[in-house]
Amino acid sequence: MFLEVQHIVKSFGAEKVVKDLSFSLQAKQTLSILGKSGCGKTTMLKTIGGLISPDSGKILLNGVDITETKPEKRNIVYLYQEDLLFPHLNAFENIAFGLRIKKIPEGLIKEKVQHMLHSLELEGQADKMPTQLSGGQRQRVSFGRAISTNPSLLLLDEPFGSLDTGTRQRMQELFKKLTEEFDITSLFVTHDLKEAVLMGNQIGFMQDGVLKVYEDKKDFIQDPQTGVQSEIEFWGGLK
Amino acid sequence: MKIKKPNIGILLFVLVGVVPFAAAFVYALLYSFGVIGVANNGFTFQFWESVLASGTFFTSLRYSFMIALVAVLISVGGALWITLKFREQLEKRFLSFIIYLPLAIPGIVTGFFTFQLFSKGGFFARISHKLGFITEASQFPDLVNDGLAIGIIFSFITMIMPFFVLLFLNVYKNERVEELSILAQSLGASANQITQRVFLPILIKKTWVLIVLYFIFLLGAYEVPLILGQESPQMLSVLIIQEIKQYDLDKISEGYVVAVLYTLIVSIAAIVLFLPKKNRAYAN
Repeated sequence: MFLEVQHIVKSFGAEKVVKDLSFSLQAKQTLSILGKSGCGKTTMLKTIGGLISPDSGKILLNGVDITETKPEKRNIVYLYQEDLLFPHLNAFENIAFGLRIKKIPEGLIKEKVQHMLHSLELEGQADKMPTQLSGGQRQRVSFGRAISTNPSLLLLDEPFGSLDTGTRQRMQELFKKLTEEFDITSLFVTHDLKEAVLMGNQIGFMQDGVLKVYEDKKDFIQDPQTGVQSEIEFWGGLK
Repeated sequence: MKIKKPNIGILLFVLVGVVPFAAAFVYALLYSFGVIGVANNGFTFQFWESVLASGTFFTSLRYSFMIALVAVLISVGGALWITLKFREQLEKRFLSFIIYLPLAIPGIVTGFFTFQLFSKGGFFARISHKLGFITEASQFPDLVNDGLAIGIIFSFITMIMPFFVLLFLNVYKNERVEELSILAQSLGASANQITQRVFLPILIKKTWVLIVLYFIFLLGAYEVPLILGQESPQMLSVLIIQEIKQYDLDKISEGYVVAVLYTLIVSIAAIVLFLPKKNRAYAN
């Protein structure tokens, strides 16, 4: 397995936010994780990304124990809920940020960023500052910045939560395209049922700090806890 | 005829902000060319030639420029360092209250405090004497009314550094530098790279206008250099007031020449700095 998370526990004071978290994920796959606000999804992602230290447990990436590895050395990129761009950099420089950090030659940076701008359908927007971009464009730049560094694992924390329905749908399609084009392995956290089903090769459901990963999508749909059945009943009742 | 609200605003701004300043400038300009003034006999370049030939103005401008620059650089640098290292502590109630205190102290009081602390008969000189570091007052180093303007720079720093700390803390919060730093770390940036590529550029870019305005403010500061400055060279405002209040009536016109020159330089600098600029690409 590419990613193995073993018995991770994380508490803040007396509150246990993540309880015995264990799952695994194959390379080039997306695990979408559905859960309500406050169920521990963000803490789980930040723990895997190294931004929060777990109380106990182990994280293995490609067979290597990275539990104690500094976040900047993990090659795991955590993407915020909002389109958080560097306000002092234009779209081009935002995407190039990680590449410049890695001191990649200038010519290669230009080539990679131009290719990324093309993949993100952002040609002609390279010189624009974050305030001059729309919400969807900012989110795409944010994606581009994360993907351009070829991360081993991408952690997406409700990335489309702030977008309107139409833009959200277009971004979901674009994300699917990008994951295939760039062979991305990712954890996709969302509280939207449809999005969870659409985006993941595998689906998990998180509740009160406990994650349950389903064998296949059918099991997920059948489980009354996930809310899929009540959703089907609701829409069926409108017929 | 009914006057629209925005027009009233512009009218008030012109009446309160522009007219008095323009009137004072025109008065100073006419005085400098001898058109008005008790002992003046009409238009002449005599006072301008005298000021430009003596070099006092340029020495004073250079001196003021260096003092303001050093004070602003140390204050901004210090405030950035404090924000970076002690941000969490400063957000606590007691410290956040303490840091507001220096802002409530007027410049003239800061000047007197500095004088009482650092003069040859002041607090530290007495302590040094008691501790046996010096045997007489003259052995205490020149820290006020000195050539290097140490007393003036110290006062300026104590006056403006707390302001910059508060400003940077505010920008840090508003611009979400904390989250951006975590993001940069996630993209592979080390602590130093985060400081250089995220923390500093965001804070400086958001505050550079105020930094420049404070520099201009210090360039024309009066009370502190009056108390803590030396005889020569003097900071510009002190020089101007001294010239204007002289018994030699010719010197009054020369004082106005210095005032006009100073106003022109600062105005041109402000216009050049604040002219709208195209968005720059931040390549590296």
